[in-house]
Amino acid sequence: MKVAKLIPWIACGLALAGALVALVPPGKPRGFDLNGFASLPVLEGGRVKPIDSVARNSLLMIRGQQGFRHAGYHVGADQWLLDLMFRPRVADSQPVFVINDPDVLGLLGKQQTSDRYFPFTALAPHLDEIQRQAQAAHPIDAKQRTRFQSAIVNLFDRVYLYYRLRNTIQLDGTPGLAAEVAGRSAAGAAERQNILAQLAYFRPLPPGAGKSPEAWRSVGESLQSGDAGADSAALQGWARLAAAYAARDTAAFNGAVAGLRGMTSSTRPDVQRQADHEILFNRAQPFYAGMVIYILALLALFASWLGKPALLQRASFGLLVAGAIVHTAGLFSRMALQDRPPVTNLYSSAIFVGWIAVILGIVLEWMYRRGFGTAVAAASGFASLIVAHHLMGDGDTMEMMRAVLDSNFWLATHVVTITIGYSGTFLAGAIAIGYTFRRHLATRLEPSTTKTLVSMTYGVVCFALLFSFVGTVLGGIWADQSWGRFWGWDPKENGALLIVLWNAIILHARWGGFVREKGIMAMAIFGNVITSLSWFGVNMLGVGLHSYGFMDKAFWALSAFIASQLVLIGACLLQPGFWRLRRAAPERRASKAA
Amino acid sequence: MKTRISRWIWDALTSLKLTIVCLSALMVLVVACTLAQVNRGTLGAVNLYIRSFFVWWEVPGSGWSIAIFPGGALVGLVLAANLIAAQAKRIEMSWKKVGIWIVHVGLILLFAGEFVTSAFQVETRLAIEEGQTLNYVESPRELELAVADTTDPKKDEVYGIPESLLARGGPVNVAGTPLSFHVKGFLRNAELSKLEPGDAPPLANRGVGAAVSARELPPVTSDDEINRTVAYVEPVAGGRSYGTWMVSNALGAPQSFVHEGRTYVLAMRPRRQYLPYSLTLKKFRHDVYPGTDIPKNFSSLVHLNHPGRGEERDVLIYMNQPLRYAGKAFYQASFGKGDTLSVLQVVENPGWLLPYISCVLVTAGLLVHFAVSLHRSVKRRQAATLEA
Repeated sequence: MKVAKLIPWIACGLALAGALVALVPPGKPRGFDLNGFASLPVLEGGRVKPIDSVARNSLLMIRGQQGFRHAGYHVGADQWLLDLMFRPRVADSQPVFVINDPDVLGLLGKQQTSDRYFPFTALAPHLDEIQRQAQAAHPIDAKQRTRFQSAIVNLFDRVYLYYRLRNTIQLDGTPGLAAEVAGRSAAGAAERQNILAQLAYFRPLPPGAGKSPEAWRSVGESLQSGDAGADSAALQGWARLAAAYAARDTAAFNGAVAGLRGMTSSTRPDVQRQADHEILFNRAQPFYAGMVIYILALLALFASWLGKPALLQRASFGLLVAGAIVHTAGLFSRMALQDRPPVTNLYSSAIFVGWIAVILGIVLEWMYRRGFGTAVAAASGFASLIVAHHLMGDGDTMEMMRAVLDSNFWLATHVVTITIGYSGTFLAGAIAIGYTFRRHLATRLEPSTTKTLVSMTYGVVCFALLFSFVGTVLGGIWADQSWGRFWGWDPKENGALLIVLWNAIILHARWGGFVREKGIMAMAIFGNVITSLSWFGVNMLGVGLHSYGFMDKAFWALSAFIASQLVLIGACLLQPGFWRLRRAAPERRASKAA
Repeated sequence: MKTRISRWIWDALTSLKLTIVCLSALMVLVVACTLAQVNRGTLGAVNLYIRSFFVWWEVPGSGWSIAIFPGGALVGLVLAANLIAAQAKRIEMSWKKVGIWIVHVGLILLFAGEFVTSAFQVETRLAIEEGQTLNYVESPRELELAVADTTDPKKDEVYGIPESLLARGGPVNVAGTPLSFHVKGFLRNAELSKLEPGDAPPLANRGVGAAVSARELPPVTSDDEINRTVAYVEPVAGGRSYGTWMVSNALGAPQSFVHEGRTYVLAMRPRRQYLPYSLTLKKFRHDVYPGTDIPKNFSSLVHLNHPGRGEERDVLIYMNQPLRYAGKAFYQASFGKGDTLSVLQVVENPGWLLPYISCVLVTAGLLVHFAVSLHRSVKRRQAATLEA
């Protein structure tokens, strides 16, 4: 009995410990202080971040992953970036370009095989052709492009990003940064400096004392400018780092890293602290860890339905709580790093939708204690983090906010409430899906549990209506404040209105007694369709004031999701065990005869 | 018999089924309006589906139109009537229902707000360059024929004839001048081209219009296009005709004629509304995040001068921070000309406060209602546990 009480705690503790392991900094692989290098702050995409974030996001864009195995070793993003910048020939032979499109592969003279990753050396002979094809496709509107055109433009963009990274600190094929600094007024230097300034992907040189905190400079800009003295220490540091890495001199490399870190720590301690925090966040990958824990919770719960219900159900709840803690820690870390409310783009909205669903699920579990809240919460948490994971490919998920969105007050009120509304509608749909499965699969249907499920769904729909209505109207008020139009019938506004209308229809249909148990559940599942269309579908139209979240890749995923929901609605409305009818019919006849 | 019909109508009007039908119809309209925006532009789609009593379908090839679906305005009216009637029928003033009452009052206000907005809201714009001082706002869509008396080199007297008067045709007298304009032709949207041999003889016989032919086009539907409107007018003064002139916002060159020593310049331009105050753009700023093209901030530093009120001050208009002055609100909307031109959206809406009140009411109502329901359900469950 006592052990049984401890089970949730043990499960929760183990899962948390597993998640914490990722926080331990890696040692020094082959003697290089990669961790120190990773934490060097640079400016990219309008904000200061550790170089680790640049490396991870770039590799994510180019390869779709934040690390890979090559020649028997694991190559992390930081090591890859170092190779790319200072040992480009090594990086060029690593298979980092993922190419899936058969036509693009054909252009490179390759057949489609299971190996989809290619090194730069495989692309190099075809660069002119890639550029020619991409330039031909570029003027066409993104929505009108064929699959090949989109793929070739995408490949070109990735090659260009690779090329820029390689030529950010020093130009490929020149003696290196040290020589560039020493001979800054030599013949031909001006041209090289200009190219460096043009190509630089990030800005590694922090602003001197008394300058604006945003005045970071690229190597090229610094070499071009008259006041060379301002950056000379940082330039020398990067030059030493580059030379040491190329020469595989660990001691000199580690010394250069320590020197650069010391410089920012003394002049801009807050910047270094922020970068160190972000490194921890990058390494922990809390949303990935959360995803794994949620799936474990689900598995434990499924197992509990097969046997040992009490024990495993508790373990499952413990795991769910652990997942929620990791998820929460990640969410709040992001908020602290960005100094923003939780939802700033599509990616973070997915994380937040999942978080709210999980928290609500825990509350439901705590209220009703049937294992149902756990199931729905773990499934929604997992699903939304998967969605978020697939929205990451666009690069930095903490990008800067466009001028009109740059208002923490409205982001915190309108965006958060509307996202809670999405979350509530999805949760109601998830409960209804659980109801559908139970209806067809469970051997024994207790009426009291069914009643609980219906009242849970009703409660969640009420909750969703409240938040989606308030969120929608707050959006109207924001619009009135920022461009003088309370309601403009913009696609995203319409999407939000559809959710409100649908939830209102569910509630009125129930109050009028037009639908009962099955009907409410089927309507709640349809809420998933409406919400997914409002969340992602309207962005695909590419019109209106909210089209900054434009996306085209997800079209098929969205269609498949909607189709699956329609099938589930059908299943929800069919009689339990409908597929057994054929077999059952003769039996019934037999019993009648008897 | 009569009572039976009226009872039936009353039952239908107060039924929850009607509510659901209306809400569903509204969903259909909203979906249709959203999808139609891809081809028709926002304004076109809204006018077709939302701000109409019926959605019309033109039977191809017959020139007939059939109403195939109720429009947003009709559905909104029926829904509002249903709401009010249902509340009146089930006049249950109990504390249990107070939340629902508040919600529905709020919703009625919201509908009312949308009606007021579509009826009374006036949207204009102010495109102003750095250093420029303007004392008028312009309509983004409507045009006017401006007749300027430029005789006095220090000051122009300007008279505006709205597009709607020109469209109606017939003679238009310009108050304050001896002039009267006979409208000989009006094309809401047209394509202008140089007159080629073989073209029909032009209506205009004076000014540049005598060498230009106009071909009528259907009016534009997209939000970012504007009509190129053409009108043929014949100024008459003191019983004397000054010929027929073509005026259009697509024509650049000003055209003028002289009557009794006074020079009148004709121009078709966006309709202006003059203000009793003036605005001077001192500085426009467009900041981006370092190393990116992502806009960080747009702002216009404007000097406001209202001699009538003896008011003179600087105002900074930026994103989410409009200038609200004398019933109008000025919003930072756009920019151009290498960041020296600022475009402000100007909105006058007497009903702007209604949605705010409605929002507060509905939120409070929903909260009250759900709190009451939750309280009841908790009580019920407690009773159930006590029994068990």
